[in-house]
Amino acid sequence: MVLSPAFLEELRNIVGPDGLVVSAEGRLVYECDMHTFYKGMPDAVVLPARTEQVVDVVRLCRREGVPVVPRGSGTGLIGGAMAPRGGVMVGVNRMDRILEIDLPNRCATVQPGLINLWLTRAVADRGWFFAPDPSSQMVSSIGGNVSTNAGGPHCLKYGITTNHVLGLEIVTGAGALVGLGGKAADRPGYDLTGVAVGSEGTFGLVTAVTVRLLHAPEAVKTVLAAFATMVEASQTVSEIIAAGIVPAALEMLDEVVIGAINAGVGKIYPDGAGAVLLIELDGPRAEVELQAERIAAICRRGGALSVTVARDETERALLWKGRKEAAGAIGRVTSSYLLQDAVVPRSKLPDIMRELQAIAARYRVLIANVFHAGDGNLHPLICYDDRKPDELQRAAQANEALLAACLALGGSVTGEHGVGLDKARNLPLQYGEADLNFMYRLRRLFDPDGIMNPGKLLPSHPACGEGFRPARPTLPAGTWV
Amino acid sequence: MIPVSARALGSALGEIVGRERVSDDPGRLAGVAIDGLTPRWLVSPVAAEQVAGLLALAHEERLAVVPRGSGSALDLGRLPARVDVVLDLAGLDRVLDDNPDDLTISVEAGVLASGLAARLGRRGQWLPVDPPGGPGRTLGGLTATNAHGPLRFRYGTLRDLLLGVRFVQADGVVTWGGARVVKSVTGYDVPKLMVGALGTLGVLVELTVRLHPRPEFERTWLASFTSSSSAEAFVGLVLDSTLQPNRIELLNEPALRACAVPTAPAAIAVAIGSVEAAVDEQGVRLGELARQASGRPAPAPDNFWERYDRAFARPRDGVVLQVGTLPGRLAATVAAIERGRSSRETGASIMIAGCAALGALRVVLGGAALEGAAALIERLRGVVADFDGSVVVQAGPAALRAAIDPWGPVAPEAFALMRGLRDEFDPRRVLNPGRFVGGL
Repeated sequence: MVLSPAFLEELRNIVGPDGLVVSAEGRLVYECDMHTFYKGMPDAVVLPARTEQVVDVVRLCRREGVPVVPRGSGTGLIGGAMAPRGGVMVGVNRMDRILEIDLPNRCATVQPGLINLWLTRAVADRGWFFAPDPSSQMVSSIGGNVSTNAGGPHCLKYGITTNHVLGLEIVTGAGALVGLGGKAADRPGYDLTGVAVGSEGTFGLVTAVTVRLLHAPEAVKTVLAAFATMVEASQTVSEIIAAGIVPAALEMLDEVVIGAINAGVGKIYPDGAGAVLLIELDGPRAEVELQAERIAAICRRGGALSVTVARDETERALLWKGRKEAAGAIGRVTSSYLLQDAVVPRSKLPDIMRELQAIAARYRVLIANVFHAGDGNLHPLICYDDRKPDELQRAAQANEALLAACLALGGSVTGEHGVGLDKARNLPLQYGEADLNFMYRLRRLFDPDGIMNPGKLLPSHPACGEGFRPARPTLPAGTWV
Repeated sequence: MIPVSARALGSALGEIVGRERVSDDPGRLAGVAIDGLTPRWLVSPVAAEQVAGLLALAHEERLAVVPRGSGSALDLGRLPARVDVVLDLAGLDRVLDDNPDDLTISVEAGVLASGLAARLGRRGQWLPVDPPGGPGRTLGGLTATNAHGPLRFRYGTLRDLLLGVRFVQADGVVTWGGARVVKSVTGYDVPKLMVGALGTLGVLVELTVRLHPRPEFERTWLASFTSSSSAEAFVGLVLDSTLQPNRIELLNEPALRACAVPTAPAAIAVAIGSVEAAVDEQGVRLGELARQASGRPAPAPDNFWERYDRAFARPRDGVVLQVGTLPGRLAATVAAIERGRSSRETGASIMIAGCAALGALRVVLGGAALEGAAALIERLRGVVADFDGSVVVQAGPAALRAAIDPWGPVAPEAFALMRGLRDEFDPRRVLNPGRFVGGL
C-alpha cells in the first residue's frame, strides 16, 4: 500500500520527525517478529511517546482506511507484530515508563513498552515481583505480554498474564480512548479487560496497564529428575498433578534439547538421559521441603535415573539458564525449526509423547522437546534444513499432524504464544462456525472498520474481507418455527 | 411476521421442551415472579438443545427470557423491563466430563455447588468459590453473577477459574468459547465476557472449570483490633510478608457477633492452607504480625467458615451491598459504611465482611429504611469514586432498586462498548432485558 505524502506529513505532525520511520532500511527491522517465516514490511513506522499521539495516529489511519499494526519488542512467535498488508506500525517502545508503583494496594501501572523484567527489578528490593514470566521476559514488553496473554514456566502456579491484569487503557480501532477495569475490585459491567487481554492488537492499542504485584515466596526449591524416556517422564508429570501437587513450575526437556544445551550453554543436565524434569516449588519453607520430598519419591517410583536438588542459588540459576536458552541452543542441532505451541490435557502427556515419536518417524523429521509439562503445554521444535525444500514440507506436515493429534486428545491450538498470522487458519480446528462468528462480531465492535492488525487472530472469511459480519444464523435443526 | 397467539406459543414451547416442562399454572408462575413481574410461562429444559430451541422461538416472537438457577440472585440488578419466560435451568444437572487427574471438570449449568463440592471433596479437590450461601446455588448462577467469597484471595473468582463455556445466544445459536484444558489462548477469551454478565450475552448451559487440590490442612486465626485502621495495618503487614494465606477476611463487630465469636471493633480472619507443619509455622508468624499491629491473635473455632457462611448467606429481607475499595483504603471505607448506623441515615445494623486484601467488601444492612439505605449507597459511591471503587446492590427490595441504580455509574466510554455488545448480540433484548448495568 502506498501512503501519500500528505498522509505521511500528518503522521510526522503527530509524532514528530524522530518518531517516524519511512526509509526502507529503517523499516526493514520491522518486517517480522521472531517467527521470521512471515515477512511483511509496514509502509511507515511510528514511535509515539504519549497516549494522545497514539489516539491521533489511530484516528488518522481510520479516516484513511490504513491498517494499524501494534508492536512491542517484536519477540512474538506467531507473526503477530508484522504487517502482511502494509500500513502503519505503531512501536510502543518509547512508552516504557512505570507510571506508579502502589505496594499497599499490590499493583503497578505501567506503559506498554516497559520490559517485563524491569518491573520486577523495580520492586525486587522490597521483596515483590510481577508473576508472568515468559522466557523472553528480559526483552519482551508488558504491552506485548498483555496482547498475547503470555504465559511462562511459573504460570503453572501463578496463572497467565490475564490473571494479573487489573486494568487497561486502550485506544480502540474506532479511535476512542477507553479505561477498562482498574485497581479496585468488582467493577460493574462486562469484563472488557478480560476479553481485551489476549486480543493481539485486534481491538486496539494498549497505552497503559495496571497489573497485580505479588510478594516473593519465603523459599524456593528446584529439583532436577532424569529419566530414560520421555514417556516415563511424562507419566511422572501426570502423577505429580494427580497427587494434588501443583509446583510453581514443571518443565520437561528431551535428549535432543539436553544435548544441545550441554554442548552450547554448558554442561547443565545429566548426559544420557532421555528426558529431564525441571521442577520448582515455592512458598512457605516447610511446605516446599515436604513437597520436594514427595515429588522426589514420585519421580523415583516413576523410574527416575537420578533426582537432585539445586544446593544454592547459583545451581538453581544454572538449571534455569539452560531451560531459558533452550530454543537458542537448538541452533547447534538444526539450521531451522518450526515451533509448535499446542496443549493437551496433562493426563494425556504419555499418549501425546508416543504419538509424537510416531509422527517423527512417519515424516522422517527430528523433533526436539522443551515445554511446560505441568499444564500440558507442548513446544515441539520440528527441525529441518531450509536448503532442502522437501524437508520443510515434511516438517510442515509433521507440524500439522501434531496439532491434529493434540486436538484429538481434547487440547488447544495454542497455549501461550497466541494465534497471530501463523495459526489463524487453525482456529476452525478448535471452534465451530458459530463460535468464530461470535468472535468476528466481537472484534467488529472494537474495530468497526477492520483496521487493527488485520489478518491476525481470526481466519479471514473466504468470501469477505476482515470484519466480516455473518448473516443472522439460521435456527437450529429441529426447532419449531 | 405473523403474531402468534399465547396458546399457540405455549404449545410451541411444549413441542420444544416437552409439554410437562412448560407451566402456565398461575400458582407456579406467581412463585417465580421477578420483582413482581409474573412470567407467562415457566419452562424447565433438561438439555442445551432445548434451551436453543426455546431461545430461537423467543427471538422470533420477541419474548423476554429470564434464566434462573437456584433462584437465589433474582434480586440482583435493576428491575426487569419485561418477563415472558422464566427459564429454570436446574434440570441441566449432568456432569459431562470429569477429569480428576487434569484437575478439570465440565458440568451443565444447573449443577449445584454442594453436589459438585461433595464429589470433588472425596478426591481431595475443590472448586474454590465460596460465596456465602453458595452451596445451594447452581454453577451457572454463580458464574453469571460472578459470586465470590473469602477464598478469592488465593484462587481468584470464576473469572480466573472458568476455562470454557457453552452458551446459547439470544437467537438460539449454541456457541462455545474457551477450551477444556488449563491453558489456552486460542482466539478471544470469551469465557471472561460471560462471567458476571447475568446471562445477557447468552444463557450459560455448560461450564468447564479449573479445580485445585484442597490443602491437606487448613487452620484459621482471628486477629482482633480496637480499630479498623489497626486491622488495615495488619493486612498490610501480612501482604508484605512471605505468608501464603487462603483467606484474609475483615469482619466488623456485628459480623463477629453473627459468627458467634468474641467481638471487637474489627477483626481479620486469616486462613492458612498447606501441609500441617507449614500451617503451624505460619500461624506463629501471623500472631507476631497481629501483635505488631496492636492486635490480639487467637485461633478461630474449627467451624468458623461454616458460621461465616450462615451469617452472610442471603438474609430474608435485608440489603446486601458489594463494595469495591482498595486494601489501602480499608479503614476509611469501613468508617464511611459504619457512619450509616447513625439514626440520621439508616439507623440499621450493619454487618461488614469481605476480602480485606483485595478491598472486596460485603455489607449487610438489617432493618434499614429505604431512604436511609439509598442515602448510604449514594454517599458511599461518592467516597469510593476517588479511586474508581464501586457500590453494587447485590440483593435488596425492588423499591430500593427502583429508587437508585443498583449497579452505580459506569464510565461512559466503557459503557458505550458494553451497550455495543448488547446491541450486537441481543438487539431484541430477549435475555434478561433491563436488569444489567445501565438498564441493558
